[in-house]
Amino acid sequence: MLLLRIGLASVAILAAFFAIYVAYLDRVVTQQFEGRRWTLPAQVFAQPIDLYVGQSISGAVFEQELKRLGYQQAAQADRPGTYRRRGNRFDFMSRRVQFWDETRDPQLIAVTLEAGTVSALEDGAGAEVPIFRLDPLLIGSIFPIHGEDRVVLTPEEIPPMLPAALKIVEDRKFDSHFGIDPIAILRAMFANLRAGRIVQGGSTLTQQLVKSYFLDSRQTLGRKVEEALMAVILDARFEKTDLMTAYINEIHLGQDGQRAIHGFGLASQYYFGKPLSELQLHEVALLVAVARGPSYYNPRRSATRALERRNLVLQLLAEYEVITPKEAEVAIKRPLGLAGDGRIAAGYYPAFLDFVRRTLRRDYREEDLTEGGLKIFTTLDPLVQAGAESALTAELERLDKARKKQRKESLEGVVVVTAPQSGDVSAMVGGRRVGFDGFNRALDAKRSIGSLVKPVIYLAAVETGRYNAASIVDDSPIEVKLANGQKWRPQNITQETFGPVPVVRALSQSMNLATVHLGMDVGLPLVAQEFTKMGLEKEPARLPALLLGALDVSPLEVAQIYNGLANGGFRTPLRAVRAVVDAQGKPLQAFPLEIAQLADPAAVYQVNRMLVEVMNRGTGRAARARLPPGLVVAGKTGTSSDYRDSWFAGFSGSHLAVVWVGYDDNSPTGLTGSSGALAVWSQLMGSMNTSSLDLFLPETLEEATIEYKSGLRANSECAADVLNVAVPHGATIEQKPGCEGNVLENLGQRIGGFLEGMIRP
Amino acid sequence: MRQYARTPLLLSLLTAIALLAGCVLPAPYSPPAPPPAPVPVPPPAETIPPVQAPPPAPVVQPTPAPPAAPPPVRARALNPAARTLVAQAQTQVAAGNYAVAAANLERALRIEPDSAQLWIEMGKVRQAEGNFAQAENMGRKALSLATGDPRSQSAAWRLIAESYRSRKRVQEARDADVRAEALLPN
Repeated sequence: MLLLRIGLASVAILAAFFAIYVAYLDRVVTQQFEGRRWTLPAQVFAQPIDLYVGQSISGAVFEQELKRLGYQQAAQADRPGTYRRRGNRFDFMSRRVQFWDETRDPQLIAVTLEAGTVSALEDGAGAEVPIFRLDPLLIGSIFPIHGEDRVVLTPEEIPPMLPAALKIVEDRKFDSHFGIDPIAILRAMFANLRAGRIVQGGSTLTQQLVKSYFLDSRQTLGRKVEEALMAVILDARFEKTDLMTAYINEIHLGQDGQRAIHGFGLASQYYFGKPLSELQLHEVALLVAVARGPSYYNPRRSATRALERRNLVLQLLAEYEVITPKEAEVAIKRPLGLAGDGRIAAGYYPAFLDFVRRTLRRDYREEDLTEGGLKIFTTLDPLVQAGAESALTAELERLDKARKKQRKESLEGVVVVTAPQSGDVSAMVGGRRVGFDGFNRALDAKRSIGSLVKPVIYLAAVETGRYNAASIVDDSPIEVKLANGQKWRPQNITQETFGPVPVVRALSQSMNLATVHLGMDVGLPLVAQEFTKMGLEKEPARLPALLLGALDVSPLEVAQIYNGLANGGFRTPLRAVRAVVDAQGKPLQAFPLEIAQLADPAAVYQVNRMLVEVMNRGTGRAARARLPPGLVVAGKTGTSSDYRDSWFAGFSGSHLAVVWVGYDDNSPTGLTGSSGALAVWSQLMGSMNTSSLDLFLPETLEEATIEYKSGLRANSECAADVLNVAVPHGATIEQKPGCEGNVLENLGQRIGGFLEGMIRP
Repeated sequence: MRQYARTPLLLSLLTAIALLAGCVLPAPYSPPAPPPAPVPVPPPAETIPPVQAPPPAPVVQPTPAPPAAPPPVRARALNPAARTLVAQAQTQVAAGNYAVAAANLERALRIEPDSAQLWIEMGKVRQAEGNFAQAENMGRKALSLATGDPRSQSAAWRLIAESYRSRKRVQEARDADVRAEALLPN
């Protein structure tokens, strides 16, 4: 009797302990699950593409865009998200889209493309549509709490094939078991005993999910029991579809250096460079194969093993009639189809997302970010981004191969592209491995910018009113006394000196001595202030070395400065985020276009004209071969001392691109701005749709023809190399001896100058 | 890109004729007043604007023509897509939806970034929503793009005048109005 009581009491105590233990597990696992599940990540969208008659876009690119947006080809475009192509004509039914400034219902649209431009745009009734916005491309998600980005999928975004395949391969009783599958466990135990090693796992998807949450791979019995209990709890508390979605977003599918690839959404980008919704059968099957053991079945390292496993998955799918035997047969014949060489192909933009995250952190209160479900509309142009990525990787590869001395370390690079008029950042590549989410050089690599400083110095000079493109500066040895009593004797990069040269030539050929003469004459305080005027946050030290580029700034800061030039002397803060709306579609914050005049537009015009000459005859002329004939661009090379940094910053009418090339450890590259960064820049500019720089001669300026070499007024009959420059009305330019021939021209000019003097007070 | 005048001979000839005849040549563009001069001084009869005697085009053009001079009167018509967005923006402004109006105009600017007219429209939105400093800045941006287009120049000055008036800068507003007036053809 007593024994029985003691027995009962112990059982009760044990049961109580067990109940407490289960309650504890319940709390832990539920918290974990809800924490992940109910944090709706903020979705980040690229700039939507506007379609209109006259817009340049090829049929191939347009179709690719539709596919990237998840549009499916169909016999009839009769459902939202479908399209039909007939030659040059695309009919598509748009989805219901929430933009930040409007919500639009599905619409049938017909686009006709001819010779790379949109030639007609109509609605379903055949009526002309002046402009139509495509859906914005989802480029990533931000978990405000964890600060990490992941491609998280909602149940609607998951192709039905995936859960079906996962169930068949990993957990056939998923829909009916209670979190664990005792029969499967027994079967696995039996198989393992017979084999003498672990050949089979009996874990359900739910158990795997639990294991992933707590990242503990110890195979102890206690651990297993705890895992099983948690699985049962999860199964009791949540719907099967929620568990499946969580599994798909959570499970570990690979390792990219320091970065763990979790979830099928990111894995799809990592392995195939496209969103999950676009994967074909054999690709989905590979991901399912990898889920069994991302390291053992690593398709990049163990291709054969991964391929075998993939084909097994396909056979199982056919066996369980998820697909037809014919479909399996076709898919089995396909190669793995991995994207790139370990890098993530287009579609994952860590540098840009990092910039977006920092913008949000700066402008948002934490509680705004954590409410979840935010939609973030950015300025990223996926086409430009793709061009920037491929130009950088291709050119760096070429430059690496061309190295005389083979180095173990490879060159690194950065590209930042903006739309000058709005300051929108269209593309940002933070390193050679474009998909690598690590050190963001575009924002954080502060490197010496060399001659990229020169246009700012020349702008300061022009703004004094004492210099114009035809003014003569002396490219001769100069000694500057430094504060510490030492003397600074700068040199030209080629060690030559050129003597008296016009300002336009000094800038085109990036002459150091002429620039130091000019800068010292203008004065260091004025020069240093010009940098902050142009958008640099902190004024650089007023040291003579500043004149030759002793200024360490990031590529993004360079872009801000040059954006001021490209925007005709107007400043607009560079922005990556256009607007943020909450889960209900209500705008939380907009980042409207703001501009401010920062320099005299006429002075900026003169400098920009000189930067056009850099491309025509100066250090930038190598770009010409890669640019479409007739495309007018302006730019400047930069090379830091000992060839450690190779820079190029330049712009067309619609794009500004800044490129940096160098080594992370700051060792010399042997590249100048023109042999390194310019190659990337011209490759990029030549590959994308961009418009000529269209400069309007301000009314305070006039054209003058001078000899390039001497800066003397001349014409093509009396001098070999003449060019037109813009100078203020009535600027005195000395005549080249022997060029007085054209009397009428001189007379005209003189009268013009005389009248100018009369009209102008 | 506009091209340089490549007919130096013809132009020299015309200049000569003009000089001989003592008459005013029709200028390719004739801003009634340069921006710094509020009231246009009627030019003497023999006026030859400096742009009238362009230097001979260089024989060697290594590359595409550099930014051109003299600028012709710029084609002002917006393309239909941008025009539609402007119309939508105007509707939105009337309804007080300034942010949406501005968004429409920003899309238009991506299509035609060099349009003075779009910047003026943008400035009007800012003015309507009470952001007078931005209204002025956008007016100035428009001015920098409106060379050879007195109508847009006038509209830009009008916008600037209004932004001054809203900030009680009466004298500056009056000056800007004078410029706007002087630019109007009548």
